[in-house]
Amino acid sequence: MAHYFGVRHLSPACAYYVCEFLNRVDAKLVLIEGPSDLDGLIGSLCGIDAALPAAILAYTEKAPVKTVLWPFAEFSPEYQAMKWAIKHNVQVRFCDLPASCQLAGSYNEEQDEKDFEEDDDTPPGESVYQKIEKAAGCDNDSFWEYSFEQCNDYDDFIAAVSEYGRNIRSDSQIDAHNIVREAYMRKIISEAESVVESDKIAVITGAFHTMGIKDTVFSDEDRKLTEKLKKIQIKATLMPYSYYRLSSRSGYGAGSKAPAFYEMLWKNRRSMTPENSAAEYLSKIALFQRKNGYAASTAEVIEAKRLACALARMRNGRYPNLNDLRDAAVTCIGHGSFGEISLACADTEIGTKIGSLPEGTVCTSVQEDFVRQLKELKLEKFRKAQAEETVLDLRENLRVKSEKSAFLDLHRSFFLHRLRVLGVHFGKNGCISQENATWKEAWILKWTPEAEIEIVEASLGGDTVADACEYVLNMSLASASSVTESSQILSDVFLCGLSDCVKSAVSAVQRQTADCSSACEIGKSVGFLSSVIRFGSIRRIDPQPVCPLLEKLFLRFCLCAKNAAVCDNKAAEDLISAVSVVNDACLSHDNLDDLRFLTLLSEITDSEFANPLVSGFACAVLCERGKIENETLSILISRKLSKGSSPADSALWFEGLARKNRRSLISRLSVWEKLCSFISQLDENEFKPVLVCLRRTFCEFTPNEKSDVAENIGEILGITKEAAAEFIMTEMSEEEKQNLEELDDFDFGDI
Amino acid sequence: MSDLLRLSAEQQYRNELDALIANEKYPVPTGWKMSPKSVLTYIMGGKSGGTEITPKYMGDKRVVEICIATLVTDRALLLIGEPGTAKSWLSEHLTAAINGDSSKVIQGTAGTTEEQIRYSWNYAMLLAKGPSHDSLVKSPVYSAMETGSIVRIEEISRCASEVQDALISILSEKRISVPELSEEVPAKKGFSVIATANTRDKGVNEMSSALKRRFNIVVLPAPSDMRTEINIVNTRVAQLADNFGLAASLPDSTAVERVVTVFRELRNGQTLDGQIKLKQTSGVLSSAEAISLLVNSMALAGSFGNGQITDGDLAAALQGAIVKDEAKDKAVWTEYLENVMRKRSGCASLYAECKERNS
Repeated sequence: MAHYFGVRHLSPACAYYVCEFLNRVDAKLVLIEGPSDLDGLIGSLCGIDAALPAAILAYTEKAPVKTVLWPFAEFSPEYQAMKWAIKHNVQVRFCDLPASCQLAGSYNEEQDEKDFEEDDDTPPGESVYQKIEKAAGCDNDSFWEYSFEQCNDYDDFIAAVSEYGRNIRSDSQIDAHNIVREAYMRKIISEAESVVESDKIAVITGAFHTMGIKDTVFSDEDRKLTEKLKKIQIKATLMPYSYYRLSSRSGYGAGSKAPAFYEMLWKNRRSMTPENSAAEYLSKIALFQRKNGYAASTAEVIEAKRLACALARMRNGRYPNLNDLRDAAVTCIGHGSFGEISLACADTEIGTKIGSLPEGTVCTSVQEDFVRQLKELKLEKFRKAQAEETVLDLRENLRVKSEKSAFLDLHRSFFLHRLRVLGVHFGKNGCISQENATWKEAWILKWTPEAEIEIVEASLGGDTVADACEYVLNMSLASASSVTESSQILSDVFLCGLSDCVKSAVSAVQRQTADCSSACEIGKSVGFLSSVIRFGSIRRIDPQPVCPLLEKLFLRFCLCAKNAAVCDNKAAEDLISAVSVVNDACLSHDNLDDLRFLTLLSEITDSEFANPLVSGFACAVLCERGKIENETLSILISRKLSKGSSPADSALWFEGLARKNRRSLISRLSVWEKLCSFISQLDENEFKPVLVCLRRTFCEFTPNEKSDVAENIGEILGITKEAAAEFIMTEMSEEEKQNLEELDDFDFGDI
Repeated sequence: MSDLLRLSAEQQYRNELDALIANEKYPVPTGWKMSPKSVLTYIMGGKSGGTEITPKYMGDKRVVEICIATLVTDRALLLIGEPGTAKSWLSEHLTAAINGDSSKVIQGTAGTTEEQIRYSWNYAMLLAKGPSHDSLVKSPVYSAMETGSIVRIEEISRCASEVQDALISILSEKRISVPELSEEVPAKKGFSVIATANTRDKGVNEMSSALKRRFNIVVLPAPSDMRTEINIVNTRVAQLADNFGLAASLPDSTAVERVVTVFRELRNGQTLDGQIKLKQTSGVLSSAEAISLLVNSMALAGSFGNGQITDGDLAAALQGAIVKDEAKDKAVWTEYLENVMRKRSGCASLYAECKERNS
């Protein structure tokens, strides 16, 4: 009969004893719980230059991409068993359901990706762990650590683990998925037994399954189950994994809560110094604290160690477990608060380690292209779990010889933008302080296993990053429903440096321009196109084809903006930003009909029907550009602030006016005179809505600007500068405060 | 029934302590009356032999485990928490269980002097006979060191910093020197200190980091969930009512739930369902306050009513507990009444009563 070893995934003790187990059995064939159609990956996973954590990733060939993962760490018993087999030149195979069946969802159509990832030891429904907790009087992880990780006798361990397996088996229900899996495992084992002497077969599976496959023969029923299995086309690859992803903190069921701590346990077990883990953990915490500028003395570490040992003794543990250590660290090093050492704990328990695999083991062509480009663009150093910022200078570097290095940063930018479009979360745009400095780009780069999966998903679109990106852009162009969307895609095309795509994007925008009548949408599109034209050349793509498009959009904006200006206050905000964007475009492109735009603005300014906020803003733009006579402005202000229009509208108009060029507004005393007389005409009921509006207007002013305004008003009212300043500086009285507080409850109604 | 207002922990739970000592199965540390495990059982409740042990502290078991483990390692223990989170309660019961004696206590005030920490003299005798063992007046710390037991220091952060400093050398050297008698008193095994400090007092007399380092600091949290808090309140109200012989029936479950709800919501600054943000009061609305509030309304109902707590009694007590600072708390309470309680079903009469009292 074959020999069975039930493990807990990611357990150092299991990993340690599994080798001993294989030695004793003197196995000639090792069967491991894993996808039986992916045996071929075992060799590269255990290769010399592969550094764990790593995972086997299988994915469907067709969209929607479904994936399934088998992660391994250095201290995975499965991994150690594989290594043992390779070292002893023994056959090693996987014996679980093939990935192609798992992804076909043959056992249950509704099972989704998430269920694959769940711990095999966690059958759904009734939680077996709650039962363990009740029985053991401590949480499941503590129980496992005290009883198994700290065990140091082979026979005890084997007996305890099989007892554990039996108990979790009897305390939990077995669902359809697991029934099929176990039937399949039995099938593989019985097949193996016909080839290899059954006494020389070692079967390594989760303790839960061991109880299901041991002492049970492959029956006819099993045959029926395993014959029914559906299969689909899949691809599989190895991928580097990270401790962060492995830790359950990132929502992965079969993980280990503290991979870095478990690695520590693993190392100490290998070196026969299990008692060292406690001191090592606490010193690491202290070290991290010191590095980050907190005091953490050796005395505190010693006290923490003593406390941890006392806690472990109280709970009948041989050595402190993770909970004891953390409690002790919080009490002694964190001075009672977990917040103080939470980062140190995360670093010590979870860690930031990520694995790496030799070239050629990552399989999809996009992955390979990604790796190649990282190397070519010298971005490899960013392939790590900590985020780091890099600033790119897109201009030609004249000090280097080859063209490739002269435009290195530009190509980096293309590459990162392409990844962004592909939805690969490797780089994130950072901020650049110098406004509009488009020859500079900041990126925050951080590699995650998720990014690797996203790259694999991208492989559906093409064989290289660029191809896939082009595919994605073309797809989204086809589905873009508005002109704003397609012009944004057009600007993405430029950012990604995909000159082949320009034509199709331009024609998509053109098509949609005709149908679009929303001034706000057109305004936004003008913004996108304008920046493409202005900065396209630095990306070395000729923006010429976009110019006529911009003219067309600009014209459409001028035609429909006047009607759009008659709108409610919500729409007004959008329109204002559109006007401001078009104004910028107007200033930076000669080929646009500036006069038409100015006429539009004065029409909106003059109009009695336009929304007062928009109208005020249009007037502000005109003032800024110096295209309105002082006299006209003065008349306009008088009219807008006169009794005829409703006070709330007047205040809104003023708010619009004050949105721009405040300095020049402040310097015009006449404006403030009019505002003063306007306010003084108001009665109590009218005053409140106006006050609310004015407060909103002035809240955007800087303190300096505010005091200048106050001085202006002081001058008009005949108060000296000093008196005005003094009045402003005095604390508000209780009554005034209350009056202001009442305003908070002001019913805005339509304003 | 005893005619004492309040019995000490070891008097009140004598039979439980005796049962635990009689049924001891684990090794007992030097100077202790029972093993750490039995101390844990005494605090958290359970069974010992045939005796039911009532839970003294309801909350996180791990917190208590850390406290006991700290005392096993001869380290001093500092309990920190908001007012009313059972700091002193826990420290009293810990000493009662470990030493069978919770009487060695220094109540820290701004007026506490160094002599109260170390030792002082009987001056008449000092003048008559000079320095001698007879004229020495030992402080609780001194006698705890002599007997190898635990001394409690309440409200340590209210003591002046020089008084706190006196503790530093005692805690690190574990001995007191008496230069007048040219001798030094070493602490016996089992000596330790449990100090309590209030987070609201932070900054009154900030503890020096030298002193903090000599303590293991455990932060006692407010009850984590509604059920635990109701449980705590119910248990304590029943105990107190029994002790005071109040002629009123215990508050029914809805009354307790309502009071605890009001307290939790105002304490956390939001309603239980998290949908309404609330302003917080100036005072601390701890479980201890809720207990005294309910006992208070029982006293009202027993002495002036029919023995049943009415909404009116509750409203009066709530008003007193919540509105500590007239100007600010009153507004907070009004806001709470209008925005939360008025809309809550079943609270109409309590709302009306509260509103009337708060106007």
